Amino acid sequence: MRSPVASLAIEAREVAKTFRSGWLRPRLTEALRGVTLEVPRGAIVGLLGPNGAGKTTFLSILATLLIPDRGIARVLGMDVVGDSLALRRRLNLASGRPSFLWSLRVAEILDFYGRLYGLAGPALRARVDALIEEYELTEYRRVPYNELSTGLKQRVALAKSLVNDPELLFLDEPTLGLDPDVSVRVRAHIAALRRERGMTIVLTTHYMREAEELCDEVAFIKAGRILDAGTPDALKRRIGLGDVIALRLEPAPPAWLTEAPGVVRCVTADGWTKCTVDDAEKRLPDLLRQLFAEGITVRNVRVREPELEEVFVELAR
Amino acid sequence: MSWRADLLAVWAVVVRNALMASRNVFFFFELLFWPIVGVISIGLMTRFLGITAAQASFVLIGTIALSIVNVCQLEVAYAVLMDVWSKSIKHQFLAPIGIRHLTLGSWLVGIVRGTALFTLLAVLAWWAFGFRALRPGAGAVAIFMLGCFLNALIVGVFVCALITLFGNRAEAFAWASVNLVLVLAGIYYPVSMLPGPAAALARAIPLTYFLDAYRSHFGFASEFTAPIATGLVLSVVYAIVGHLTFYACVQRARRTGLLLKMSE
Repeated sequence: MRSPVASLAIEAREVAKTFRSGWLRPRLTEALRGVTLEVPRGAIVGLLGPNGAGKTTFLSILATLLIPDRGIARVLGMDVVGDSLALRRRLNLASGRPSFLWSLRVAEILDFYGRLYGLAGPALRARVDALIEEYELTEYRRVPYNELSTGLKQRVALAKSLVNDPELLFLDEPTLGLDPDVSVRVRAHIAALRRERGMTIVLTTHYMREAEELCDEVAFIKAGRILDAGTPDALKRRIGLGDVIALRLEPAPPAWLTEAPGVVRCVTADGWTKCTVDDAEKRLPDLLRQLFAEGITVRNVRVREPELEEVFVELAR
Repeated sequence: MSWRADLLAVWAVVVRNALMASRNVFFFFELLFWPIVGVISIGLMTRFLGITAAQASFVLIGTIALSIVNVCQLEVAYAVLMDVWSKSIKHQFLAPIGIRHLTLGSWLVGIVRGTALFTLLAVLAWWAFGFRALRPGAGAVAIFMLGCFLNALIVGVFVCALITLFGNRAEAFAWASVNLVLVLAGIYYPVSMLPGPAAALARAIPLTYFLDAYRSHFGFASEFTAPIATGLVLSVVYAIVGHLTFYACVQRARRTGLLLKMSE
């Protein structure tokens, strides 16, 4: 039987990192203040948080690009500091603002990194060809990197990150700045990587829908700390956001609405009154009955579960 | 790391640097324009000053050595510089390779460029000024060039270390570092002409000994007892120290976050 630790791709305990800047009067920035996180093998986990929260710093530590000041980080059973060289063979990273050597062509970039990861001869050619085909780069294989569009550069970055067929893939804002249609394709590729290869993927993103669509679990980071982590549904339950009942009322919503039983809060915007309630099925009939009784016309009603974005806003407050 | 993986990593850097060199007009100036201008202007100056053929050969040897060291050390510095310019350095250090693969691969390309440059300048100096660089024989020329290449490796590795320590700000050192060699290693004059402390520094530079050994074939008395052995020992020591320094600077860049900053 495998031990629980062996089934973890990432095990981070109290990881901390402070950056110094300036020579004469050094300024200290605490980027991570003791981050603890476990990622099971084969999972897609999202790191969410506002700008400067510490997402990229944490990802970079896990990817061996940055050495933590404190704490322990074990990735694929190896220490990120002590076993970094051996670990690098088994992981890879793609970032949302990719950059590679300008004048190298697409196939040459993949060739270069393929060789760095120990591929040669027919195996290298086959791998590069497969990645070029998979990421629909065939017609661009001889195009220099600096002549590619943002979306194509992103595809090259993703292809490069798979050149060593990593067990663990880090994606830092993988759809940043991409057109919606390209983002959809990139997300489909990411989902396929886990489905078809069983790859563990850790991604950072600003897009809650992306996290909700792709991730088995998400972790919210703010000011260098993980505020909460779990499946999107579990987080919604834990944060206690309940359901959202959106009402179009005429005339304006009555004052008692926010005080009604089961109502957590109400916000009115763009003609809609959005009431967060503990249980929509239980509260909606009573609310409608009272509104009708007061002669308020209910022109439209929508009931939905809260989105991850609302969890994010709640946690970030 | 297996020998095969080692060789592949070095080969990857060789191919990358060669491809980049073949596509950059800037490299043309480094390889051809400035060295040719250097040999022609120095050669013409020796004529104007009316110095002897032996003295002219002394100066031309220095000019050729300086060009070779410059071209080869820049190539070694490109191991890091090209990635800094294109903001892709984190990918290079994310790969499972050591700094020796970067420096060795770049150095090999530098050796090829340096050899091509020596051939060109030797022909030019012979045709324009009657200076025969190959006169001492293949062995002496090979040792002279090995000395130039080892010095280039040392300077290039220290430039790489400075870039990973200070970031882009240290880039200027890549272009300026060779001038230190110019002043101290006796490119245009014997190191015995230098004032005391500077002469002591000159004795710490391996190129000084290789120049001395090569010039001895042109009738100049050697200033040192075993110049080639001394030059080789110093080169090996500096190359090891340089690589340890470079490694320490990369580790520091991983701690300070400079490695990531240089990729933004």
